[in-house]
Amino acid sequence: MIPAQFDYKAPATLDEAVALLNSDLDGAKILAGGHSLIPAMKLRLAQPQLLVDIARIKSLAYIREEGDQILIGATTTHYQLESSDLLKQICPLLPECAKSIGDVQVRNKGTIGGSIAHSDPAGDWPAAVLALDADLVLVGPNGERTVKVENFFVDLLTTDLQPGEILREVRIKKPSGKFGQAYQKVPHPASGFAVVGVAVHLTLNDDGSCKSAGIGVTGVAVKAYRARAVEVALAGTNLDDNAASAAVAHVCDGIDPNSDLYASSDYRCHLAQVHTRRAIQAAKARVQ
Amino acid sequence: MKLEGSHELDAPRERVYQCLVNPEVLQRCIPGCERLEQTAENTFSATIKTGVGSIKGVFNGTARLEDLREPEHLRLVVDGKGAPGFLKGSGDLDLASTEGGTKVTYTADVQVGGTIASVGQRMIQGTAKMMAAQFFTSLAAEAKTAVGEPPPQHGFFRTALRWFSGWVRRLFRS
Repeated sequence: MIPAQFDYKAPATLDEAVALLNSDLDGAKILAGGHSLIPAMKLRLAQPQLLVDIARIKSLAYIREEGDQILIGATTTHYQLESSDLLKQICPLLPECAKSIGDVQVRNKGTIGGSIAHSDPAGDWPAAVLALDADLVLVGPNGERTVKVENFFVDLLTTDLQPGEILREVRIKKPSGKFGQAYQKVPHPASGFAVVGVAVHLTLNDDGSCKSAGIGVTGVAVKAYRARAVEVALAGTNLDDNAASAAVAHVCDGIDPNSDLYASSDYRCHLAQVHTRRAIQAAKARVQ
Repeated sequence: MKLEGSHELDAPRERVYQCLVNPEVLQRCIPGCERLEQTAENTFSATIKTGVGSIKGVFNGTARLEDLREPEHLRLVVDGKGAPGFLKGSGDLDLASTEGGTKVTYTADVQVGGTIASVGQRMIQGTAKMMAAQFFTSLAAEAKTAVGEPPPQHGFFRTALRWFSGWVRRLFRS
């Protein structure tokens, strides 16, 4: 439970953090909330030479409305997202998802950027930002670039983040018109991680039919993914129980579901269908 | 833990088989393999430094090829350990000729123990799948080169792609 030796730097600005990270691409690692990295270090499963702590860069933690977008800084903690009055009004999926993460201590320290950059196959944020079709702003030694979150998750714990790049901001298009959102999760009883987690963002036409659906699924595959086939099957329907049941049958299409001691792949896929349906029903019931 | 899968390789079956039993080729294809030495007939000793994300470890172990039936079948028995845990198991590889290539089907039974199994249980299967995919992608590139030709550079495409995307990005920014 004692980590190997490492150096620690707490830069004051993001530019300094990028420079430090690039000073040792193999050995340096970004530290934000540390709720995945530090346990791995204590077990000596990870042995970085240098930790670059970005959680102390105050200007990286914010939740702002700007034009038709919601901007969230990478080191905004789960608790800040959970308790944001602004988000409760304009995008309640985010506080709802935040509330389901870990326990109070985890939510006080853990950050949205850390969760997305780590890409844990059972992390909660990946599902929520996929459902909301977010953009991610990455900053590296050659400047900034923006990636669609759907293209960001590559494989198990592997993202499009290149060595030397830091996730700076999450950008979400502000939901408008008639919409409803929900996050449904089956937490693992010991760790609280999602055995299955489903985030749903529905937009409705004036006649109450489904205009579009965004569905993010976590815990099921090696990475969180958008259930495109379910989204397509829901569009244009009146979102009643029959339509929802028919659509959720596609939630594992093209996916090789995880299997572990706690849940076999068949059981996981079944859970995913049940909870996707419940999330759709809950989102529909919340439409205003 | 049971592992199953198959990969299609764009090379003739005989060639794929030769690659699978060639220690030099294997060393280049196994993700993170730093050392692979033959210690007896069909028996090898290896050092592999590998991991996913920030989780990394060094493993030392032995591998033995059994039940060699060129060019359709071989069996691989592995036994390794490192600081993060240990791994023990065996796998059968079956090679079938397909139109224009080879289909390799594998079934393996592997026991993983130690720290990595107690805390990383939910990710072991995903890690195994990812490494198998990396291995077969490299193997496909190896099998496509003719015997005696210089081996392919496995990191090359990724480096080229990274360079190219960086270049495109700079182009659009200016």
